[in-house]
Amino acid sequence: MSPIIEIDRLSFRYPGAERDSLRNVCLTIEEGDFVAVIGGNGSGKTTLCKTLNGLVPHYWEGEFAGEVRVDGVDTYDSTVATLSSTVGYVYQDFQNQLVRPRVRDEVEFGPTNFGMADYAERATEAMQMLGISHLADRFVWQLSGGQAHLTALASVLAMRPRIIVVDEPVAEVDPAGAHALYERLTELNQIHGITVIVIEHHAEFIAQYAKSVVLMDDGAPVWHLPAPQAAARAAELASHGIPAPQIVAACEGLELAAAPRTVDEAAAVLRTAGARQRPSWTAEAVAGSAGQATREGQPTTEGEERRPVAVASAVSHGYRSVAGDLMPVLTDVDLTIRAGDRVALVGGNGAGKSTLMRLLCGLQVPRGGSVTLDGIDTKKSSATKLAEHAAYLFQRPEQMFLKDSIRADVRLFPAGRKRADADALVDRVLDRVRLSDFADRDGRTLSGGQQRRATLAIGLAMTPSLLLADEPTASLDVASRDSVISMLDELSGAIAAAVVATHDMHLVAEWATRVIVLGGGGVLADVTPSELFASDALLEGAHVVPPQITALGRALGIDPAPLSVAQWREAVALADASETVEVTA
Amino acid sequence: MSRKTRDVLSVEWVKLELIRTAYATRGGLFAKMDPRMVISWYLILAVVPWLTHDLVTIIALFALTAVSAALARVGPLVLGLFLIGFVTDFGYAFGAAWVFGGDHETALALVEITLKLATVSLASIAAFVSLDPEELSTGLLAWKAPELLAFGVSYGYRMMPILFEEFGTVFTGLRLRSPQGKKGFLGLRALWRWGTWAVQAFYPIFLNTAKSVRTTVESLETRGFTAAQGRDLRIAQLSIGALDVAVVAVTAVAVVGAFELDALFTIA
Repeated sequence: MSPIIEIDRLSFRYPGAERDSLRNVCLTIEEGDFVAVIGGNGSGKTTLCKTLNGLVPHYWEGEFAGEVRVDGVDTYDSTVATLSSTVGYVYQDFQNQLVRPRVRDEVEFGPTNFGMADYAERATEAMQMLGISHLADRFVWQLSGGQAHLTALASVLAMRPRIIVVDEPVAEVDPAGAHALYERLTELNQIHGITVIVIEHHAEFIAQYAKSVVLMDDGAPVWHLPAPQAAARAAELASHGIPAPQIVAACEGLELAAAPRTVDEAAAVLRTAGARQRPSWTAEAVAGSAGQATREGQPTTEGEERRPVAVASAVSHGYRSVAGDLMPVLTDVDLTIRAGDRVALVGGNGAGKSTLMRLLCGLQVPRGGSVTLDGIDTKKSSATKLAEHAAYLFQRPEQMFLKDSIRADVRLFPAGRKRADADALVDRVLDRVRLSDFADRDGRTLSGGQQRRATLAIGLAMTPSLLLADEPTASLDVASRDSVISMLDELSGAIAAAVVATHDMHLVAEWATRVIVLGGGGVLADVTPSELFASDALLEGAHVVPPQITALGRALGIDPAPLSVAQWREAVALADASETVEVTA
Repeated sequence: MSRKTRDVLSVEWVKLELIRTAYATRGGLFAKMDPRMVISWYLILAVVPWLTHDLVTIIALFALTAVSAALARVGPLVLGLFLIGFVTDFGYAFGAAWVFGGDHETALALVEITLKLATVSLASIAAFVSLDPEELSTGLLAWKAPELLAFGVSYGYRMMPILFEEFGTVFTGLRLRSPQGKKGFLGLRALWRWGTWAVQAFYPIFLNTAKSVRTTVESLETRGFTAAQGRDLRIAQLSIGALDVAVVAVTAVAVVGAFELDALFTIA
């Protein structure tokens, strides 16, 4: 194999910046490699990738030193347009990359602009390679996140590039969609020999798909290693904000020196090592285990009737399509959310998660049946009055930033409803989500995790009985995601019940007490997280992939399967160790 | 008080109507035609009403465009807005004639101009409801319009439903979280509040859009938009067929017929 990218002593500084974003980068990437570029926020990952298609320095004109050769061409002497036929770039916010109304136009756009007479064949070929030919005549705003992502990928693929860069592919699609995308990228890499470069935060994807890994820190690569060697440096990765995959942590917990890439590999390793269930790990023990410790205070027995916060009875709802038909989303749904519930709504795209939440908080009223919130029929009250009982957090945080500072946004509701202690409440809430230091900044300038916490603060200041959040952990890196989950955990005292719609099974495993699976217009199941992860039929119906640690537990026949690494440590021991436990017990 | 989900005259309905209108999803006669011929057809009917003062001819031309609008399957939102304008214009014409002491001739002159305007409006409604933005922009390209204008048309339409949706979300946020108050006399205070929120909603929308457009611009660069070598390929997608010629020919005959009517009946 020959190198397709050669970077020699590259430094770059954005105009007006105080320090270099890239510092003396030397890096060679072989043709046909599948590279994961990792590193913390601001380590220069995206800037590095933008040097490959000439956006740096031709579009972003800063101080540029050194040399970048792509397929033998010096990017400094070339143009973005020319380089783009070699390097395809898929953005993190890929929705904004789509500029044409229909999928086919979108995919044909690049080749047509370059005057390629075979643009139609190229587009057809690209759509076939990604299995989206059936979407060709759809409008781009009708696509689900995963479909839109594949469309963005197809549109760069139609240029028949030799290198494809994908910026944070997992950020805005659900786990099943992310795996599908990675499978497609692997095909492009293996069958068509395209060099793939991904910017990625999630260690499990890196371990499973990448051939080599580049770790960036402070504008320069720390190392470029084959994936197995990179995965073995778990501690170093963790210090750069990339925690080890759960399966690696599981091996570590048993003091096994192994870096398995997939759940199956990990199961094989652990079987050989003689890992088995501790006798002390029983269904009763789970209730008091580490991961569940914070949930003890809540009554779980069915005998005690807890106060119903929101009740949906025989609810049916649907939307009009562009063609004018009524598309039913929910049919005859009965549901009671009680005080103390932490509900995760799961289900495939279009299963009605957002619709159900909008109905529960009274933003919309159902076409059939009724919703009662805090004892009030939502049809008999207005959305503005119901806002005192339920707070709904939109999926995109910036849509909730209506004022020019976080403080003003949090204050808007309590001050507007003339609450005497509004200012004290705002201070308390901001303190609680640890954003007091950022209170005077516009929400849009914060990092992804801070933005989510700011929306939580806005919701809390409304002092609702019911808090509803749409995908509160979507497009966050692992560390920010964990901080949002623990934040949700701490807030349980301030609100009576919480409902989140999510694709994030870590959130389900570590936070929820109740999972409602939506599908086929109704509730497929109303279970605990353990029950969800124990049933293949449910997992498939919900279009979700269990966390690695849960899948591993099931592969090893551990019942109930652990939901977190902490539970894993309590549940599993190596054969000889567990015997010792038995003896001492 | 009881709320229910409404299928018409709701925000959602307006959004759907805009999409249906913009992308000609209802089909219709002109949607099947070559965009250049649709624009030519429109230009004929936009000019001829101004070449006559004969009321019979004008009424005939109005009838012609009314039939065209029906064949173009114009949606209720656009048609409703047109009718409101048309009826109030007529009312104004008679009102003005009466107040300023005019006689039936003044009124007739005002009716004439109102009818001319209505004819041109109906023709433009029929034409532009039938042109989807891709066709319109390719048609403009074929007539040597700058690439940027042609792209702007298509991109503007693409962004419209997204911006409308964004506006709806931000406005809802403002409505739920802002201070509430009394409705006031005839709901005037409430109306004033809604107006204020509608204006305030632009602050977050501008900032959010500015942020997302950065990606769009970069991506346009990488996908050769500024290389602009695709003009001929796009134009080659157009073709003028029998239907195009027939529709324009029938219209031309009808227009000539309308002018001939003037010889048969003479009023005023």
